[in-house]
Amino acid sequence: MEAVYALAIGVLVAAGVWLLLRPRTFQVIMGLSLLSYATNLFIFGMGRLEIQRPPILSGGEATPALYADPVPQALVLTAIVIGFATTALFLVVLLALRGLSGTDHVDGREPEQ
Amino acid sequence: MTALLDHLPILPIAVPLFAAAAMLLVGDARRTLRYSIAFGSLTVQLAVALVLLYQTTDAAAHIWPNGIGVYEIGGWPAPFGIVLVVDRLSSMMLTLTATVALAALVYSTAHWDRPGQPFHSLFQLLVMGLNGAFLTGDLFNLFVFFEVLLAASYGLVLRGLGTARVRMGLHYIAVNLAASFLFLIGVALIYGTVGTLNMADLLGHVEALPPDDRALFDAGAWILGIAFLVKAGSWPLNSWLPGAYSVSIAPVAAVFAVMTKVGVYAVLRLGTLMSEDAAAATILGEILYYTGLVTLVSGMIGMLATQHLKRLVSYSVIVSSGLLLASLGLGIEAVTPPVLFYLATSVLTTAAFFLLTGMTDRTRLVMPPAHEPDAQGDILPVYMAFGVTSPDPYGTEEEVGAAIPAAMAFLGLMFVCCVLLVAGLPPLPGFVAKFTLLSVVLETAPVVGARNAGWVLAVAVLATGIVSVVALTRIGMRLFWSPAQRRTPRLHVVEAAPVAFLVLVCLGLTAASGPVMRFFDATARSLHDPDTYIETVLGSRVASRTEGDAQ
Amino acid sequence: MLLTLMVVLPFLGSVAAAFLPAGARNTAASWATSVTVACTVLVLLFYPEVQDGRVASVRFEWLPQFGIDVYLRMDGFAWLFALLVSLMGALVVLYARYYMSAEDPVPRFFSFLLAFMGAMLGIVLSGNLIQLVVFWELTSLTSFMLIAYWYHLPDARRAARMAVVVTVGGGLCLLLGVLMLGAIVGSYDLDDVLAAGDAIRAHRWYPTVLVLVALGALTKSAQFPFHFWLPQAMTAPTPVSAYLHSATMVKAGVFLLARLWPALYGSELWFWLITGAGAASLLVGAISATFQRDTKGVLAYSTISHLGLITMLLGMNSELALVAAVFHMMNHATFKASLFMGAGIVQHETGTRDMQRLSGLAHAMPLTATVATVAAAAMAGVPLLNGFLSKEMFFEESIVVGGATGLVITLPTIATIAGAFSVAYSVRFIHQVFFGRPATDLPKTPKEPTRGMLVPSALLVVACLLIGILPARTIGPVLETAMLSILGANLPEYRLVVWQGFTAPLLLSLTASTLGLSLYLLLLKRRATMRPTPLLSLVDASRLFDVGNVVVVRGAARVAHFFFTRRLQSQLLAIVGIALVAGVAAFGGVGWSAGDQPLHPLDPLFVLLWVGGAACAIGAAQQAKFHRLAALIMLGGAGLVTCLTFAWFSAPDLALTQITVEVVSVVLLLLGLRWLPRRIPFDDPRRRTPRARARRLRDVALALGAGTGAAALAFAVLTRPNGAEIRDFYVDNALEIANGRNVVNVILVDYRSFDTFGEITVVAIVAIIVYALLRRFRPAPESIDVPRAQRADPSPPVGVLDDPLPRGYMKIPAVLVRLLGPMAGLVSVYFLLRGHDAPGGGFVGGLVMATAVIVQYMVGGTMWVESRLRIHPQLWIALGLLTAGAAGILAWLAAKPFLSALSVDLHVPLLGDLHLSSVLLFDLGVYMLVIGAVVLMLVALAHQSLRSPRRTQFVEETADAQAAEEAAETSTSEASA
Repeated sequence: MEAVYALAIGVLVAAGVWLLLRPRTFQVIMGLSLLSYATNLFIFGMGRLEIQRPPILSGGEATPALYADPVPQALVLTAIVIGFATTALFLVVLLALRGLSGTDHVDGREPEQ
Repeated sequence: MTALLDHLPILPIAVPLFAAAAMLLVGDARRTLRYSIAFGSLTVQLAVALVLLYQTTDAAAHIWPNGIGVYEIGGWPAPFGIVLVVDRLSSMMLTLTATVALAALVYSTAHWDRPGQPFHSLFQLLVMGLNGAFLTGDLFNLFVFFEVLLAASYGLVLRGLGTARVRMGLHYIAVNLAASFLFLIGVALIYGTVGTLNMADLLGHVEALPPDDRALFDAGAWILGIAFLVKAGSWPLNSWLPGAYSVSIAPVAAVFAVMTKVGVYAVLRLGTLMSEDAAAATILGEILYYTGLVTLVSGMIGMLATQHLKRLVSYSVIVSSGLLLASLGLGIEAVTPPVLFYLATSVLTTAAFFLLTGMTDRTRLVMPPAHEPDAQGDILPVYMAFGVTSPDPYGTEEEVGAAIPAAMAFLGLMFVCCVLLVAGLPPLPGFVAKFTLLSVVLETAPVVGARNAGWVLAVAVLATGIVSVVALTRIGMRLFWSPAQRRTPRLHVVEAAPVAFLVLVCLGLTAASGPVMRFFDATARSLHDPDTYIETVLGSRVASRTEGDAQ
Repeated sequence: MLLTLMVVLPFLGSVAAAFLPAGARNTAASWATSVTVACTVLVLLFYPEVQDGRVASVRFEWLPQFGIDVYLRMDGFAWLFALLVSLMGALVVLYARYYMSAEDPVPRFFSFLLAFMGAMLGIVLSGNLIQLVVFWELTSLTSFMLIAYWYHLPDARRAARMAVVVTVGGGLCLLLGVLMLGAIVGSYDLDDVLAAGDAIRAHRWYPTVLVLVALGALTKSAQFPFHFWLPQAMTAPTPVSAYLHSATMVKAGVFLLARLWPALYGSELWFWLITGAGAASLLVGAISATFQRDTKGVLAYSTISHLGLITMLLGMNSELALVAAVFHMMNHATFKASLFMGAGIVQHETGTRDMQRLSGLAHAMPLTATVATVAAAAMAGVPLLNGFLSKEMFFEESIVVGGATGLVITLPTIATIAGAFSVAYSVRFIHQVFFGRPATDLPKTPKEPTRGMLVPSALLVVACLLIGILPARTIGPVLETAMLSILGANLPEYRLVVWQGFTAPLLLSLTASTLGLSLYLLLLKRRATMRPTPLLSLVDASRLFDVGNVVVVRGAARVAHFFFTRRLQSQLLAIVGIALVAGVAAFGGVGWSAGDQPLHPLDPLFVLLWVGGAACAIGAAQQAKFHRLAALIMLGGAGLVTCLTFAWFSAPDLALTQITVEVVSVVLLLLGLRWLPRRIPFDDPRRRTPRARARRLRDVALALGAGTGAAALAFAVLTRPNGAEIRDFYVDNALEIANGRNVVNVILVDYRSFDTFGEITVVAIVAIIVYALLRRFRPAPESIDVPRAQRADPSPPVGVLDDPLPRGYMKIPAVLVRLLGPMAGLVSVYFLLRGHDAPGGGFVGGLVMATAVIVQYMVGGTMWVESRLRIHPQLWIALGLLTAGAAGILAWLAAKPFLSALSVDLHVPLLGDLHLSSVLLFDLGVYMLVIGAVVLMLVALAHQSLRSPRRTQFVEETADAQAAEEAAETSTSEASA
């Protein structure tokens, strides 16, 4: 499982980076979204993979070893939210640039020949 | 009151937050109310910062042992909860931030903040982010506050819109988003290897790591370091900086002067807490010296290349962070006090200069666009080389000087002061910073001499001086001494006063450089003695555990 | 104490003068006069003390850690110079009062002049080398201001800039040299440094120090090859030339050399460096002076040459030479200042400095002529004048030292040639200006000047005569005190007498005089003296400086393009690349290795899941350019898989949040798509160029590298044991202390609630920005009109406001969605409340609510919803923040830190036991804020679609918004395109 998980992160990162380096704003925002998935998975992985052990206390007494590490989950939650917000912001800014400069190139002007 | 005193450390974060929220509720129409809220909030912050500064000095050793105060948010002790740590370094940064922000705010009230813009709220939140970044003792929380201050800065860069701003803003945002991913990955790796997020808790775990785990940790630390270098504007990750800074309006750019230093702060703070040997003041050690040096050079070249004052000041920001990084990269403990002194002065300088550009821009009738400086980069020198000379060089023509209007005289004086500050010439503190730095470097030259690093740095530092003079006299003459194409601007007191205030603060630094330097010595000592820091932060664990059980 | 006053007084005077009104000519002048006179008196007061060899000093602590105090000390030498500076200052101020024209804003002038005087006094009285450098740079600055006093003249501007660049540069070198001296000696105190001469000479840094100090001194004293700035500086008002650029500032360099003489002299290098530079300047100056057309030009070059003479003497490593040097400093100051004043008078009365037009002024202004002639004679070194004495000493030394250093011929020859030229240009200066037939075509008709201008220069000439005739009585004791303070015990025997008998020096000076005269007559006959200087004039310093300027700027601009890219892609490339390098470099030592934790057994379903996920990701990457919608859908797919993965590995909260966020952000992106330009896939030739291919290849490689790196790092961590300390603490205390079962949520709202606090702030900030941006959103022209999809749509336009339900095929969905609304609200509240014990929480709750609103939008249409929407987003955001903050502050009541959890158990009739906690309040804040923020963003973005139908109206309102914008922009003149 771990290997697949790691590979998944790898693929997401690769696709994200590729898009990040493209000249069109929409490609870049796609890349950013993919990268945020990858990052979230990465952070989550830092708590190692546990199956069927959600950190939700069932019994009265708590034996920590029985639960997945909640810390990375909390971090990921924060990361998701912040990522969402910044993506939204980037979207609006790229729309504004598109509106003002008339092009969707990241540099606000078409590259000259 | 004493109760409130216990909560002082949180105020620099809480006050601006409430101010910002309150201003969202106040309508656009009621400007004065919003001013008073914003102004009040910043004055309180300045006061708090000064009190904290006092509490960290040896004079107030009875309040906080070792001049380090720990505030456990939510009552959870380190390393489990998030703690705010007030030590000399952070309180100094807080004071700087508050000072600059206050000046910028007063300045902004002169028509720089048109209604309909959430300017003041964003401004407060930016300051909140800065304060938080300086105070927090937790890695991930540092990330959160970076995001807070970045998010606010995104909004402020774009303030006033226009294609140039939006384009630069887009670059700025994209670059920083990428950097944020690196930040997250770095923090994640660090947690994954040492299982803690508390800065003070790192070192203990790091030393325990087996070598191949250590490699993982280092990867994390270095990737984190890159995120910081982006913020610090170090080459080659700083192409966004001149654009973003020079398109943003003066008061915003002034506060950004502090923002660049957040990266340096983080490098310094974590460096002393992550590496075993006290001398290495940074995460990246050796490399940092070379990075800093290249950054320094790149900044100087930028200064020489540009014709646009605001852009030139942005390049001088790059120069200053290059200087800071390179000096820290030397890995000499003794160099830290001068570096801190330089950091303080350069923040004040840049802020003052950016505020000044807001006014000098107005003297120009035709304005070269900020974002395309190199396009008409050669105009002036060409004019100087092949253009006008006096018709008759034998003094026949009318030799009567023109009286300088008071406004211009003021601007000119302030400009000269800023030039002296940037170039590090006497009698302003830039000089003190540079010669103290140099004298330390030279005294330790035999030690460092092996790599000649000290010498190279010394030469570079002096080079910055002459380069600044060359570049700034060129622009200054065009600004003030070509009356043909100039008009005298109407100056508002609220604009002029902050600049004068900042310059006066600088003069004060020169006059009081003895005691100031003593404070920085103490700061450096505590920085290079991480054990005390660690004990103070984690030591409070016992005390509050019991308190926690009491809940 | 008086010492401090001596330095501070001029600065105070300068500040005071600066505040005088531009017209206040007499006030400024008399004020400046009184200040300078006061300084002179102060200096004189010290004579008795210094005469019997004591050193007056005062010291304030400034930066003790670095051994730097404000330390003023006055010994004989300093006294001599202090007297020179202040006395000369007084005379020049007097002169300037009458020289400067009435409408000139002289207060500024006098203010700078006084400031300079203060700085100069600071230099001569400095007992600490760093402090000396401080004042040194101050003189450069003030001289900059004074040269550019008439800044409307382009020449003045250029000259000022040239001077400041050269001298400040030299000053920085000096700083480094001084710092090294300090490092060698271990103190910056002049006394210690002078005492440690041998240690310094022995040190391996000695050569470097020497060169650096020399650079400082030579630039300041306009010595070859840095002499070019001085003639340019003649554009300054004549009083400035007389004061700064002949009498005092340019003497600072030689003063420093003399001051540090005991510490530095005595080595081969010293001799060759200093004497060499001196000799070069001596000759270059003298020769050029002979060919100048501008009266001040003659004087400027002769200044260079005389300073060269002094420098030469200083370099000769002989005590007698030092005495001669100091003596000549004084003499030169007196006659040269007087000459400058004379030249100034001539210009003032005739209106020109052009020697080709000036002639026979002796008839019109006999007094001036006499004074100038005597001064010129002193410059030429005619007997019975002070110039003669020091020149004799110079000749003598050149012979002696020449003998000692094996330059038996060279030194005396140089001396004689220079002497000859100095005679030539002196004679020429006087002859062409004052004699011959009176000039007729002068701008003004010449007449004697007012007494105020004549007196100062006359006084100086008298000084020349007195010293020249009775040296031993006048200058003798003063000079001796000065030399004693430098040389102390090993002060050599020297005699100041006019007649020393027929000695070799006398012979030399006779030769020089005859040569000089004949040279002048020769040149005069052929009017050659009006030609530009042979050879030397080929290098035009000012032009070189300017060209250098251009070269620097252009070069810098070119290099800057390499250092700073303007393209986003390159910047991102750099970041990714460097991150990759750093990640790899970390494993340089030990190499990468997987851990030894037992792996989970492979689950084919999961593999399948991620095959799909990967396909989506890659597809999105590949389609994003031309098929945005497809790419967006595939992105959603990848997100979905991610969210399933969270669920799979026991993170229900993450799964829940991820899915809701997913929905919202996809909707946002969809709303955005509409404003992007259509992009039809076509075969762009640009994409087939080799460079483009190479770029894509590079990016692919980088992407793969980054992917592999991330995967490797992740795998390495996944296969290692987990440090559990923190987790255990959280899980242990979750129930007892934080009384919550859902540990993740407990972390979010209690353990690490501060993160959440910051996080919601970010959301709020972004919402505010988005709102502000979109209020002034300007769509690109071509995307304003109704999109094709809507045009193709046959059904009547949706959202006629007064309809209860939209018409057409949207009716049924509308009904369902309308019913869905309240339920969604219910669900969201449920999530909020249960969050602490089960998956959910304020954030998810808020998002659910927001999604409900969006759905209304999608179905009901923008106008319809906006006419009914009762949410005021900004209010919600503000309240959310305040609530969360309040929840934090609540803890203070219980004297607990910010954000500590407080809880009360209430028994309420009917409802039973209620467990109220500040944590819930906090989560409520989050909930409200999220609703506010998300709805605000969506509303703002969705609202844009209204702009296309109501196009004209929209354009108008933006038009005047724009107009207001422009106005504001220009008034604040923000630098924007």
